[in-house]
Amino acid sequence: MAAANEPGPSRNNEEKEKEKDERMFECNICLDTARDAVVSLCGHLFCWPCLHQWLETRPNRQVCPVCKAAISKEKVIPLYGRGSTKQEDPRNKVPPRPPGQRSEPENNGGFPGFGFGDGGFHMSFGIGAFPFGFFTSTFNFGEPRPSAAPRGTPQFEEEQFVSKVFLWVAIMFVCWLLMA
Amino acid sequence: MANIAAQRIKREFKEVIKSEEVAKCAIKVELVNDNYTELKGEIAGPPETPYEGGTFVLEIKVPETYPFNPPKVRFITKIWHPNISSVTGAICLDILKDQWAAAMTLRTVLLSLQALLAAAEPDDPQDAVVAKQFKENQDMFKQTARHWTSIYAGGPHRNTEFDLKIRRLTDMGIEDHQARVALSSYNWDLERATEQLFS
Repeated sequence: MAAANEPGPSRNNEEKEKEKDERMFECNICLDTARDAVVSLCGHLFCWPCLHQWLETRPNRQVCPVCKAAISKEKVIPLYGRGSTKQEDPRNKVPPRPPGQRSEPENNGGFPGFGFGDGGFHMSFGIGAFPFGFFTSTFNFGEPRPSAAPRGTPQFEEEQFVSKVFLWVAIMFVCWLLMA
Repeated sequence: MANIAAQRIKREFKEVIKSEEVAKCAIKVELVNDNYTELKGEIAGPPETPYEGGTFVLEIKVPETYPFNPPKVRFITKIWHPNISSVTGAICLDILKDQWAAAMTLRTVLLSLQALLAAAEPDDPQDAVVAKQFKENQDMFKQTARHWTSIYAGGPHRNTEFDLKIRRLTDMGIEDHQARVALSSYNWDLERATEQLFS
């Protein structure tokens, strides 16, 4: 954009190329190079402060400013470039950018049957009449369970809810066994 | 004015004057004041419409909350169109209201308005009289719109029959534009227009 002030033969191809590169990383709202960049699931790039203000302007109609796909604060991904400015902490700026989510890679190495050492050993028991009891008590070796969702996300709350429901079902089942 | 609004308008302004639509003279943007709060837009009437050959001037006011809220746009050039008030120039277009998105720019707004001229939406009217005529007497609407384009927007097709009828009214002391509005509203029926003007 700066090159627009100096038209003429002095602009060579390299400069043009550089300008094009910079424009590729422009925020779709302020049209400046995106700072504290985030990207929506539909693939559009914004500065986090810009996108946040857009979402605040229309809280009941949250759409992508470019393609009008549904977007939300939880579903944008921050972009961390290597050359990002370390001097200023983006968290000092209100509001903080949503955190990146990191899931562990799947561990497929080695013989899965003897995975005691790496925490892949799970065991569960069930109570029941003979043929069912056979199925309900299982031994799981080496099968890595998905890591729990981070605290505070909707998924975490859902998992908590489901586990409470199962707890109550189990208690009621035990009560029923005692009564019968 | 909020910094982001002025900054963005500056960038858009540079971009729009470099765009190919400006090169083709389809749209134009000019600054009205130095702090980028008000601009003057111009769009060419799209080909194969009654607005062909005309140039329509727009007033663009940039709110402090731009680009999170849409610019306020209205036609300065008088125009006969179902979605544009023939009195105030107010525009009924969803993207200038609730369908605005922050990634839209001066360029896309002007192009959308040009598209609106080519594709009226009579079921969501701004000017009820024009919309009624558009629905009931399409041919009369086209002639009227073409006449308004020639008078106010520099269009090429002058309608001598309409001019004569207006002359009849102005001879009776009616102001030129007022006569044109009355006649346009009554499908160029001189008798009914006169009746309305003197009632």
